[in-house]
Amino acid sequence: MNNDVILKVDGLKTYFNTDDGIVKAVDGVSFELKKGETLGLVGESGSGKSVSNLSIMKLIPSPPGKIMAGTAIIDGKEDIFTMTEAQIRELRGNRIAMIFQDPMTSLNPFLRISTQMIETLVLHQNMSKKEALVKSIDMLELVGIPHPDKRVHDYPHQFSGGMRQRVMIAMALSCDPEILIADEPTSALDVTIQAQILELIQSLSKRLGTAVIMITHDLDVVAGMCDTVIVMYAGRIVEKGTNDEIFDDPKHPYTRGLIKSVPRLDRPAAGRLFSIEGQPPNVIDLPACCPFHPRCGEVMAKCKNITPGVTKLENGREVRCFLYEGDK
Amino acid sequence: MSDKNKLLEVKKLKMHFPITSGGILKRKVGLIRAVDGIDFTIEEGETLGLVGESGCGKSTTARCVAQLHRPTSGEVILRGNDITKTGKTELLKARMDMQMIFQDPYASLNPRMTAGSIIAEPLQIYKSRGMLEITKAEIIEKIETLMEKVGLSHHFRNRYPHEFSGGQRQRIGVARALALNPKLILADEPVSALDVSIQSQILNLLTDLREELNLSYLFIAHDLAVIQHISDRVAVMYLGKIMEVSRSKELYKNPLHPYTVALLSAVPIPDPRIERERQRIILTGDVPSPDKERHNCYFYDRCPKSFGRCKEAVPALVDVGSGQHVACFLHHDKEADNS
Repeated sequence: MNNDVILKVDGLKTYFNTDDGIVKAVDGVSFELKKGETLGLVGESGSGKSVSNLSIMKLIPSPPGKIMAGTAIIDGKEDIFTMTEAQIRELRGNRIAMIFQDPMTSLNPFLRISTQMIETLVLHQNMSKKEALVKSIDMLELVGIPHPDKRVHDYPHQFSGGMRQRVMIAMALSCDPEILIADEPTSALDVTIQAQILELIQSLSKRLGTAVIMITHDLDVVAGMCDTVIVMYAGRIVEKGTNDEIFDDPKHPYTRGLIKSVPRLDRPAAGRLFSIEGQPPNVIDLPACCPFHPRCGEVMAKCKNITPGVTKLENGREVRCFLYEGDK
Repeated sequence: MSDKNKLLEVKKLKMHFPITSGGILKRKVGLIRAVDGIDFTIEEGETLGLVGESGCGKSTTARCVAQLHRPTSGEVILRGNDITKTGKTELLKARMDMQMIFQDPYASLNPRMTAGSIIAEPLQIYKSRGMLEITKAEIIEKIETLMEKVGLSHHFRNRYPHEFSGGQRQRIGVARALALNPKLILADEPVSALDVSIQSQILNLLTDLREELNLSYLFIAHDLAVIQHISDRVAVMYLGKIMEVSRSKELYKNPLHPYTVALLSAVPIPDPRIERERQRIILTGDVPSPDKERHNCYFYDRCPKSFGRCKEAVPALVDVGSGQHVACFLHHDKEADNS
């Protein structure tokens, strides 16, 4: 069973030093990613979902950021956080690849697509430039770019937004990585293009056996394609479970509120929407409490001065809420 | 419906932007047809949702209605007056009835002004031009009632935009839009930049304000679920043309235009069971560039159901009964096309 785990993150804490105090962007995050699995990481802005993954890639700008504690064991062997810079370089792009929200800012506008794709392949796979070009064209064909042999020599601005995201996916998957981290890959795209890109990520990851971490603020995206879902709030995981469990029977009041507050196409509009009142908390100097308690409808006395721990429920489900403490 | 209830009527609105080249001596080398001949009406107390992908001209439409762009041709009739040809003072008067809310709550508020002065700015502008009689004390009172109305404490009056969160800033934007007691609010993607839990707060606020103040909205969004929730009628835009206008309920139950069908099928639904069983219609290719004049259906290149006639003429927006209007030959009878 344990052999299936490709990435195991344990107790990750990433803090940022700012003039106003220490921002605990990620405060004790642990999860496992199995081979070939699609893991959805949901949360609002500032919940720490992107920072967790940038930490795994060791891409946190330091200073001000610092990984304070935790381990990230890849393939049951090495800990990413203790690797040297050279080892990390070998890891990034090769074994863990990443695609970002805005494909225009993540491609170099001055270089042809071919140059950018060949660079990765020559560096990581010891290919000659010629072989790399052939491989690049193959990859572009795989992601559905028409006339890849001609388009490979184009510049990023000659592609539309959806096509650029396809190029990014081709580039990310060219070294056959074990893990693909997709950070809001469709937030900048239109719905019809979003459907195309999600379908592409899904079919390619199944075909190539890549595990995917899907970071998004959009519950709809998660529902369509993830196996496991993690919900984050204020730098912590508040709930973890399989996709069906989270949507059928959300446990944490935050998850429940989140699911209820999204207007749905398949349900007729019914007056007011459910809404979680208030704002997400400031994560600087957060006192010991459940960070969600000021917005929670089921708040109890202890939520205000004790930080709830993780309660493990059946089927590996986890929830960080006092409501379930007795249900162990 | 009688003409009295019509708050806004847009007729044959076109907005073409020139593409120029050259440095000092600019030559016109082409046209971007951002909005290419659209008609719609908004009645009093009604919300018209305008939905479409990026670049389809929905924001340009709102800007043309507000006369931030002077349209190339067509009429914008607000409460019986065509405002496309009016002078500056007349326009200023018309704008009292029509205010905008913008997408980005960070960019749409001046960072050097306090919340109070941002909300009061429309009042100050009209006061300084002698179009509004209001004393200083009344302005302060107005600011405070507006802030309470949109769910902000009036103690925050002297704070600056950076001291507020995204959702709170959007509330300031709403308060500013309400300052002149307008009839029509042009809301250009007011919730797209907000988080899910904040988005529902702002949607509820807008719904409540509509009931309370009998407002009408032109509500622009790319999120179909949001549009469905808030709108009475929905107009679907593609490449500067309206493809379908229908009552919100009808549109979602029985979409007629192939583009609407594809758009609806592309929207994910937050339920894994439904998602697994859904058949998606995935449109191939991208939205074409709006720089050409078109003599066939605007959706012809990507339409899965196109046939001979679609290539020959532009289908008009025709009433097909049950409150649905559609610009597609699949749903037209012969006589409708000849008109």
